[in-house]
Amino acid sequence: MNPSIKLLLLFIIALEISFTTIISLNIALVILATLYLLWRRTSLKTLGWLLIVPLLPAIGLWSTQYINGTGDNAQMAWVLFTRIYAFVFTGATFTLTTDILELADALEQNWHLPAKFAYGVLAAYNLVPKIQHEVKVIRMAGLMRGQTLSFWSPKLYFKAILVSINWSQNLAQAMQSHGFVEDAPRTHYRHVPLRASDWSILVIGIGLLQIGAFAIPWR
Amino acid sequence: MATITLNNLTYTYPEASVPVLDHVNLTLPAHQFTLLTGPSGTGKSTLLRLMTGLIKLPADHGQITYDDQDLATLAATDRAGQVALMFQNPNQQFAMDTVQNELVFALENRQVDPQVMTNRINEALDFVGIRDLQDRQINHLSGGEKQKVALAVIVAMNSDVILLDEPFASVDPAARASLLRRLIKLRDDAGKTIILADHDLTDYETLVDQVVQINADRSLSSLPKPQWPHFFAAFSAQAASDHHWPLPKNAPNALFDLQQVQLQQGSFVLLQPTDLQFLDHRNTLITGPNGSGKSTLFEALVRLNPYTGQINYHGDNIQKLKAKRYARQIALLFQDAETQFLNITVAEELAQSQKYAYGDYFTTDRIQQALTQLNLAGRDEQVIYTLSEGQKKKLQILSMLIMQSPVLLMDEPLKGLDLKSVDALVTLLKTTQAATQQTLIIISHQLTGLTSLIDYHLRFDQHQLQYQEVAP
Amino acid sequence: MKWAKSWYLSDVILLALIGIFFGAIFMGTNYVYDVLTAALSPIGLGGLANELLLGLWCMPGMLAGYMLRLKGSATLGELLAATVEMFFGGQWGIATLISGIVQGFGAELGYIVTRYKHYDWLGLTASAATTTIVTFGWDLARNGYYKLQLWLLILYFVVRFISMFVFGGLLTRLITDMLDRSHVLKSSHSN
Repeated sequence: MNPSIKLLLLFIIALEISFTTIISLNIALVILATLYLLWRRTSLKTLGWLLIVPLLPAIGLWSTQYINGTGDNAQMAWVLFTRIYAFVFTGATFTLTTDILELADALEQNWHLPAKFAYGVLAAYNLVPKIQHEVKVIRMAGLMRGQTLSFWSPKLYFKAILVSINWSQNLAQAMQSHGFVEDAPRTHYRHVPLRASDWSILVIGIGLLQIGAFAIPWR
Repeated sequence: MATITLNNLTYTYPEASVPVLDHVNLTLPAHQFTLLTGPSGTGKSTLLRLMTGLIKLPADHGQITYDDQDLATLAATDRAGQVALMFQNPNQQFAMDTVQNELVFALENRQVDPQVMTNRINEALDFVGIRDLQDRQINHLSGGEKQKVALAVIVAMNSDVILLDEPFASVDPAARASLLRRLIKLRDDAGKTIILADHDLTDYETLVDQVVQINADRSLSSLPKPQWPHFFAAFSAQAASDHHWPLPKNAPNALFDLQQVQLQQGSFVLLQPTDLQFLDHRNTLITGPNGSGKSTLFEALVRLNPYTGQINYHGDNIQKLKAKRYARQIALLFQDAETQFLNITVAEELAQSQKYAYGDYFTTDRIQQALTQLNLAGRDEQVIYTLSEGQKKKLQILSMLIMQSPVLLMDEPLKGLDLKSVDALVTLLKTTQAATQQTLIIISHQLTGLTSLIDYHLRFDQHQLQYQEVAP
Repeated sequence: MKWAKSWYLSDVILLALIGIFFGAIFMGTNYVYDVLTAALSPIGLGGLANELLLGLWCMPGMLAGYMLRLKGSATLGELLAATVEMFFGGQWGIATLISGIVQGFGAELGYIVTRYKHYDWLGLTASAATTTIVTFGWDLARNGYYKLQLWLLILYFVVRFISMFVFGGLLTRLITDMLDRSHVLKSSHSN
């Protein structure tokens, strides 16, 4: 499926369930997403991880509403609890099955996102392991000089930005040296089709969501 | 096929007062291999970036022409077909995740028809001899492999002129030789024009057609051929050393005790499982070719890099020590000076070290004295990032010496320093060490001036790390 | 596309890199969140941890707006940070993206109402205020805050503003002051 349409559909779902208060709809979405993930051969370990990660925030929201809410506390508490899981599971159907390059290709080819945005972000993304290492290096440089750099220390961010400025210039120059010219036309080796079936899935998906939200008398 | 002419080229950095290149005039004939030499920080990188159009030459600051076409009037989209640059740092050279995707990215930029891309990519990979790396993650490659990928990109783009900016700084000798063979082939068979900047002159004498030097007055001149033997011989003599060091005896309580330690860069093995001791209160020199893993070893010793096996510090596994306390014991002088700095002005940087120092040897007077020795006096309020590379290096070393950590690991401390600075620095190291008993472990390519400080010598080569009596 | 033309490739990379760097640093604060949420949940104040730390996550946007001084830089800074985080952090998926847009727009609004002219305490305070208001408005629905008792709503709102002001305002100012003093910023937007 076209990654951009998939993103759009999931985006609409996430937006809509932010405004609905139907527990069973949230649960239905979690089940549908789980089935899709199983079909896409997601490991049980990953699914288990998806269950555990949101637990604490979900409990936080649940208890806040349960103890300090107004009106039907329990109902709202469970809406929020299941909503978090709906976010995480529907979101995972995107992030676990689509990589950033596929999305960048679709946004560039189907939606004419300027290539500098698509490839600028990709270039930065591919430095993630180097960036994690560099944060360790900055902290170590601090420790060796007697200073602990925590998340509230301006110096930690200052150093991170200095490195970012440096690397962004190096990367931009390297990309230009590899023929990249801002706002110039490019050819495409990986073709991302935008088919009628993609649009159909989007329309049907949105339609089903409306039925779930408004037509079926569940709560 | 392009002859490049530099016409009255002058360039000054935005923040600087003196030009880094001053009225440069030079012709670089087509189909030739030119070696561009000069000490670090003399503007080689800047010149290559100007020639690639990555830095724009302000109007009235001279002219760069390819054949008779002014680079400034060449359409940006045609530039990469004309000239491509391979960078010194292989880590910030790629936009994509895999080798294949990077090649595709470059060809898409050149607006190559997707139909012919597969062929061109395969040919380029075959030419460089890295077809097996095609689907590998670039992040998992060694320095040498990354530079081979960079060359494959340039070959695939089929640029007429190939510029290389100290391309072998983190490349192992085998990969370097392989890359040099390909460059010669590109010149001889494909008629490419090649300009390579390097300060290490090994192997070039018989390969290149022209040697261009950056002079003290910021101009360029071509070295006449009769002077070559003397020029290259002077470099080899400087690199060699006939100094002898004893082999250490195993001590019961070593500083570091490495047990079956193995180092890797991605899947590339840098060091085979090794047992080794470093001795306390002795200075150890580590030499070895580029890309052999010397810096990775230092990063493992300060726990910045993973390793297999065990490293003990005074008998304790370093992974079990508290990070904060361990960092006060073992300090690392990073190869890149800016990595070390935490502040903005020279005075702030020194004050931080003085405040948190391990001992009180460095009084304010001694620091002033050291600054004078290193020719850094009177720069208290200067912003660190506006210092020259040499000044940064000296400030960095002084800041770390003031800390007086029991052990200091120094990664290429002499890089980019002139002879006068090296002498001043070694003198400072000696007087400091006599008073503080600090243990130094030093990685250095440059031995001149340093040898008298060293007790033992370790050689890191071909995945082995061993004590040796002589330097190569 | 005229707006897009004022952005250089290096700006896009810079904002994305800053977003990733900050994200990598914030990962280290997860334990603060976990401990606080676990401790406060039994008394129904579990959301407080989120309120206390939210300013951190909104920092890339507010800082990008303040640092680059381009129209849209706050939104883009936060959006790029969120995009990368969506793929990298993973588990929050699309919700990260939506939060990124809301937070980025909130931060941008502060610079809009000060007409992109006040790169001082006024602009920063305005941005902290608009980020608080916009994200809080969003949480009325998304986190069901509209059902909470009034005293708790006010408490959350005040704590959130303080967090935005401390991290997005105060810390941003301290960081950008260091950048100004080190003379590295001007040269970053000249190529």
